[in-house]
Amino acid sequence: MREISVKVFRFDPSCDTTPHLQNYLVSVKEGARVLHVLHAIHDEHDPSLSYRYCCGSGQCGSCAVKLNGQPVLACMEEARDEMIIEPLDLPIKKDLIVDMDPYLDRISSLVPGAEFRMPAPDEVEAIKPLRSCIECLACVSACPALKVIDFAGPAAMREDMRLSLDPRDTCDRVTEAVSEGLFTCTSCQSCWKVCPKNIEIPGKAIEKLRALANRKGLTLPRHEEVEKLVRETGRSVDRTGTTFLEQVPEILEPYGEVKATVGFFVGCMYNMRLPQTALDAMEVLRRNGIRVIIPKEQVCCGSPLIRTGQVEFLDTLKSRNINAYVFRNIDTVMTMCAGCGSTLKNDYQTPFKVMDINEVLLRYGIEPPARLPVKATYHDPCHLLRGQGIRTQPRELISKVVDLVEMPAICCGSGGGVRSGMPQEAAALGENRRNEIDKTGADLVISSCPFCEFHIKEHTDKPVKNVATVLLEGYREKDRRTAQKETC
Amino acid sequence: MLVYDARTNKMHSDAVDTAHVLVIGSGGAGVRAAIEAAGYGETMLVSKTLTGKGGCTTMAEGGYNAVLRETDACEIHYEDTLKGGAYLNDPDLVQILVHEAPQRIRDLLEWGAVFDVTDSCEVAQRPFGGQRFPRTCYAGDRTGHEMISTLVDRLHGTGVRIENEVTVISLLQEGQRVNGAIGLDRQGAIRVMLADATILATGGGTRIYDISTNSSSGTGDGYAIGYNASAELIDMEQIQFHPTGAVYPYDARGRLVTEAVRGEGGLLKNVEGERFMKRYDPERMELSTRDVVARAIATEILEGKGTKNGGVYLDVTHLPRSQIERRLPVMLEQFLKFGIDIRDVPMEVAPTAHHIMGGLRITTRGETTLPCLYACGEVSGGVHGANRLGGNALAETQVFGKRAGEAAGRVKEQKKAADQKMIEDAEQRICTFLQGEVPPSSIARSLQTTMWEGAGIFRNGPDLQKTLGIIRHLQTLHPKAASPANFAECCILQNMLTTASLVVRSALLRKESRGAHLRRDISQNWDPEHSPYGHTYLSLSREGIETRAVT
Ligand SMILES: Cc1cc2nc3c(=O)[nH]c(=O)nc-3n(C[C@H](O)[C@H](O)[C@H](O)COP(=O)(O)OP(=O)(O)OC[C@H]3O[C@@H](n4cnc5c(N)ncnc54)[C@H](O)[C@@H]3O)c2cc1C
Ligand code: SF4
Ligand code: SF4
Ligand code: FES
Repeated sequence: MREISVKVFRFDPSCDTTPHLQNYLVSVKEGARVLHVLHAIHDEHDPSLSYRYCCGSGQCGSCAVKLNGQPVLACMEEARDEMIIEPLDLPIKKDLIVDMDPYLDRISSLVPGAEFRMPAPDEVEAIKPLRSCIECLACVSACPALKVIDFAGPAAMREDMRLSLDPRDTCDRVTEAVSEGLFTCTSCQSCWKVCPKNIEIPGKAIEKLRALANRKGLTLPRHEEVEKLVRETGRSVDRTGTTFLEQVPEILEPYGEVKATVGFFVGCMYNMRLPQTALDAMEVLRRNGIRVIIPKEQVCCGSPLIRTGQVEFLDTLKSRNINAYVFRNIDTVMTMCAGCGSTLKNDYQTPFKVMDINEVLLRYGIEPPARLPVKATYHDPCHLLRGQGIRTQPRELISKVVDLVEMPAICCGSGGGVRSGMPQEAAALGENRRNEIDKTGADLVISSCPFCEFHIKEHTDKPVKNVATVLLEGYREKDRRTAQKETC
Repeated sequence: MLVYDARTNKMHSDAVDTAHVLVIGSGGAGVRAAIEAAGYGETMLVSKTLTGKGGCTTMAEGGYNAVLRETDACEIHYEDTLKGGAYLNDPDLVQILVHEAPQRIRDLLEWGAVFDVTDSCEVAQRPFGGQRFPRTCYAGDRTGHEMISTLVDRLHGTGVRIENEVTVISLLQEGQRVNGAIGLDRQGAIRVMLADATILATGGGTRIYDISTNSSSGTGDGYAIGYNASAELIDMEQIQFHPTGAVYPYDARGRLVTEAVRGEGGLLKNVEGERFMKRYDPERMELSTRDVVARAIATEILEGKGTKNGGVYLDVTHLPRSQIERRLPVMLEQFLKFGIDIRDVPMEVAPTAHHIMGGLRITTRGETTLPCLYACGEVSGGVHGANRLGGNALAETQVFGKRAGEAAGRVKEQKKAADQKMIEDAEQRICTFLQGEVPPSSIARSLQTTMWEGAGIFRNGPDLQKTLGIIRHLQTLHPKAASPANFAECCILQNMLTTASLVVRSALLRKESRGAHLRRDISQNWDPEHSPYGHTYLSLSREGIETRAVT
């Protein structure tokens, strides 16, 4: 037995005006789950605590709650000291009990036809990964899109995809999905990461449905324009000035000893919209012994096409990009755009290793920069945090230069084609970021993705900078101080 | 609706819910019954959990037995079921089960169920204990969940009215005839529901034991509610202890480790590494019937050949990793969550109370001994006899769910009026909880350990008597409701006590060892097939054990 301290969200709408967090000291046995802590509170401290559960073994989907902000199944998640247990982000009925109906009701049901055909083994295999959903609505709670726009949610999209794979269903699930908000998904990956059944909804349902929508001519016009641009120029954004690739030689030698050589994949946004940020990053790499090879024939990674379901041209892009590095015998390709990195790592099969710049810098170690008297917050890019599992590295780098204050990791609204296709939604999500940024009291916002940086700039009055730029500023300050000392 | 307001301590009588058919319980049996009944008239489904999320059907992992191949035959399924059930099964019910199980799985397939299929597009089947043919159809190891998802999908298209999170506490009657039920909602308000026909599909009740596989709703409400309304129950002593329940972590002990693990080739070993089943059933080894395997494991543990956590090993590490990943994904995931990778280390398992074979006495149409009350699924008795074969319960929910729904649907319309006295009684009953003294959870805990010790796998007369005495004492305690929202918990506790007393009383009535019921204090010179005894039976008015002519 051990004693743990927990905070539980309490709210009884029949007598409370506002919810509060209640502290409890509970004795639990080795290996106890969150649910067992709730039982202990109910049985030994306060029988008025309301929460749902039934199977106790991760099979019924009744018990999802937020544990320290993250949706989990109470019956499966191990209890921890100092945990905060709250209801899912759904309308609250009492304490931890939420109203699941609004989103359960939006999950479609199969409508059988007159003639029965047994699904074939390959159909069953395709459906199965989408079928293990226990409708716990953890994904719905985590989805940023449905908080700002009408969207049936990830669980419903999953079922639409499953139904469209099922030969027994007679409805047009693709059109249905589109009208239920298919194009509102920012591909932030939150739903997948919190799903207790590990259902890859963005990749296995949403992008697939968008591809089916594409065949039906239901792709959003703004997304079609992007596809046309990629076909014609190899780039997903149009030209507004000198590009990054036009400003650098093919090989950038470091200033000192060579610690490693990487190929650099710049991506459309840093190449054409934020070339200075990429140049800053090159400076940081050179200063830290990284030799950078920059093939000029690289093109768009294809992410804007994959996320919007326009995959016809994808293979061409993939082979052009892969060849660009293979021809130069490069064994490690570095990305600095979170979206490109996630695409190269997850949607490509590359004969070389792909690393994000944050990983590269930490892997080979960096010269300490000067500290700046700045309080900054960090925005986790979805495609870096959830797409590549990179959380600590940027924080470690940033903390070498400035004081870091955390804010919740929520999508800024720029991904998944939402910024171009659903601008009001993107703006609403951006405004949510503004609020979180303001709450931190930071004077600077740092991120590590061109889409996020570009988008958040429009939704905050604080400066928004890339991790590399902040490092470079640290180095410049260091140089200035050294120079000052020398002149003294 | 008749609403009890706890703050004013008054009943508000505005309207009463009425329906042609009232189904109580949203597991496989209840939902199947509701789908069927909806074809005959307005149907209402009440459930103490959320529909689709409650009960044990969702948790069923292993599969559904049905004769689907030319090389198999209903007669063999019939014989296997009787043999497994130690010839205590009601033969008519078994005939129906085996003959209709194939058609009922076809219903599910037509409605969208995704079962595993063979290369030739037939439903895949795997071997399960006690069966001579691999006839257990499955959807990975989440078969029950697949079924309930499909059924709830279908239910949504039928116009059945669904009342979630309403706990039924008693039946309404006019004389003997059942004409509805009284329930409590989450706030503790009374709900009155009137119907021409009422179907009990409340599932099982092994939560009366300390170690159980059942979901939290498996508290035996239906047995108690039926008994209190004077329905007759049979074979309540027949409790199946599943051989393989998880032993760690302690709070989640009893969690089922599906028989499919052994079906796929899992080996049972004691702490010395010996495959001990060779000493208990050398022919069928790990795939012997559940009663045999459960007793074997219990004996090994009692003899000190168990692990530190009080289990034996169930080992699949010799199987290809891909087979474990594809066929046993839920097990793999559950154990991983608890820090054990079953691909690399053996599981630790021990017996756990799993299934109540007994229940309300029914006819082949699901009629109970009370007019207009029907029962289907685990709450009914007779199908499984003294021991249930793995895979037969899911089939039972569908076969008898449909039958009960149909029979209830055919009941003639009647004038519906609630007996005010019964409503007042219910009101009285719940009001006393506010003056109660003992938290229901502590009474439940005492009951559960008492049952495990005194009416578990190995039984004897004196211990059963002692257990009954303790239950009777627990029944005299006054369960305490902290607020009206806790009324349902108190009623459920009383149901657990009633169900437990039924189990123990029947166990005392059956003076033989038969199937899952093992009386160590009695020696007998017959095998099950030649037992002179039939069903035990219990109702408010009579109790006893049937005898039968031995051939
Ligand atoms: C872990 C596990 C695994 C199993 N695996 C298999 C298997 O592989 N194959 C097989 O054939 N069998 C299996 N079984 C047995 C089988 O699942 C059950 O016997 C069967 O599902 C029971 O179905 P049911 O509809 O009768 O009851 P349940 O599915 O238990 O449903 C009961 C319903 O009644 C409701 N209810 C209960 N009391 C009340 C009340 N007072 N008021 C209102 N509603 C109430 C509950 O909320 C629930 O909705 C397994 C059982 C368990 C526990
Ligand atoms: S997709 Fe996953 S997270 Fe969402 S409801 Fe289903 S099981 Fe829960
Ligand atoms: S990827 Fe993000 S936006 Fe899209 S459905 Fe999942 S949680 Fe919602
Ligand atoms: S209680 Fe069923 S999933 Fe947690």
